[in-house]
Amino acid sequence: MKNIFIGAAIAFATLLIGCSKNGTAPVVLDEQVGNSGTPVTAASAFMSTSGQSVTGNARVYMKDNKLVLALENFSTTNGPDLHVYLSKEMYPVNFIDLGRLRATSGNQIYDIPGTPDLSNFKYVLIHCQQFNHLFGYTILK
Amino acid sequence: MKKNIIFLVLLVSTCGVVAQSPSPKTKKINKYADLAVTAGASQGSAALSYVHNWKIGKKEKWEIGIGARLTSYFGVKKDYVTAGPARLTRSHTVPFLIFFAGLETQNWDTLNIQRPFTNSLNASVNFGYHFSKKISAGFNIDLIGVTVGRKTSGILTGNGVTRIDPEVKPSAFNLLLTGDHDLGSLNSEFFLAYKLNNKWSLRAIYQFYFSEHKTTNLSQIAADGTLNNRFRNKINAFGIGISRQF
Repeated sequence: MKNIFIGAAIAFATLLIGCSKNGTAPVVLDEQVGNSGTPVTAASAFMSTSGQSVTGNARVYMKDNKLVLALENFSTTNGPDLHVYLSKEMYPVNFIDLGRLRATSGNQIYDIPGTPDLSNFKYVLIHCQQFNHLFGYTILK
Repeated sequence: MKKNIIFLVLLVSTCGVVAQSPSPKTKKINKYADLAVTAGASQGSAALSYVHNWKIGKKEKWEIGIGARLTSYFGVKKDYVTAGPARLTRSHTVPFLIFFAGLETQNWDTLNIQRPFTNSLNASVNFGYHFSKKISAGFNIDLIGVTVGRKTSGILTGNGVTRIDPEVKPSAFNLLLTGDHDLGSLNSEFFLAYKLNNKWSLRAIYQFYFSEHKTTNLSQIAADGTLNNRFRNKINAFGIGISRQF
């Protein structure tokens, strides 16, 4: 009987451990747009929210007839479930999710689906989706 | 006086004998408490229940009864879809037959709830059948109750638009009305039980659990103009349970 309780406790603990938070890969990426990319916006510097540190620039390019977002000389405090958004507001209410942040540092490129109006979706956000916490933002110009 | 004493002694000892053997009424009742845990992809549950069943039939192989169950459900980034009204989500709404109705997915919006966590206290109904002294099977389902849980954020996607509602909360009232008519969070199980001894049993469980949450700041606007803020996740999971007979 004692073994059954121990087994049930181990199973339950395994469930809880499975819910642990996973951070972004703490690696340095170096993805470059290259000569085929044409800047669509100027380079916009990130601003951090309280308790976080997000630096570097965001810039939109047209590359191979597709819009891409480049994070240049980028660095952020690590956190769980960080995503990159194009957003209508500084806080993500209406937004386009460009995917999980792939690295906490370096140069990264994210495909932008479709052709959103960048005068509407003018904010680039680094957002912890699972805990709904904004790490940093910039305004595309 | 001597005869009275002898009579009293005989009376007390008779009562003692009756108290030691179960009355016919007691044998017809099966009462137990149960702890069950289930696990699925990025979600799980734990349920504590009390069951009071009556054995029926000539051979008393069948059981039917009532109970109370406290189910805690937790998950990470789970997709919930439009919960109702049923005329939006299914091809017809006839009670019970709605289980077999077609899915009207074109009317479904998806709410990806980041960290759902709910505690539901429901009254339940239970059915069981004893194949042998050791092995039995059964089914139980929640009928009515209440749910409390934490607020969390949810990403609502519909008609190509994605929005965040930072205040998604569990629906408070639970009521079994069958299929997509259901309200709130309701647990149900099919199980196979093995009796270890007179007091303890182990159960293998297949769980079908409805979890429902509501948005606070956003609503789905269906094609016919209906506003909806209820979203449901239908969970199929396997688990184990341990029961203690009384």
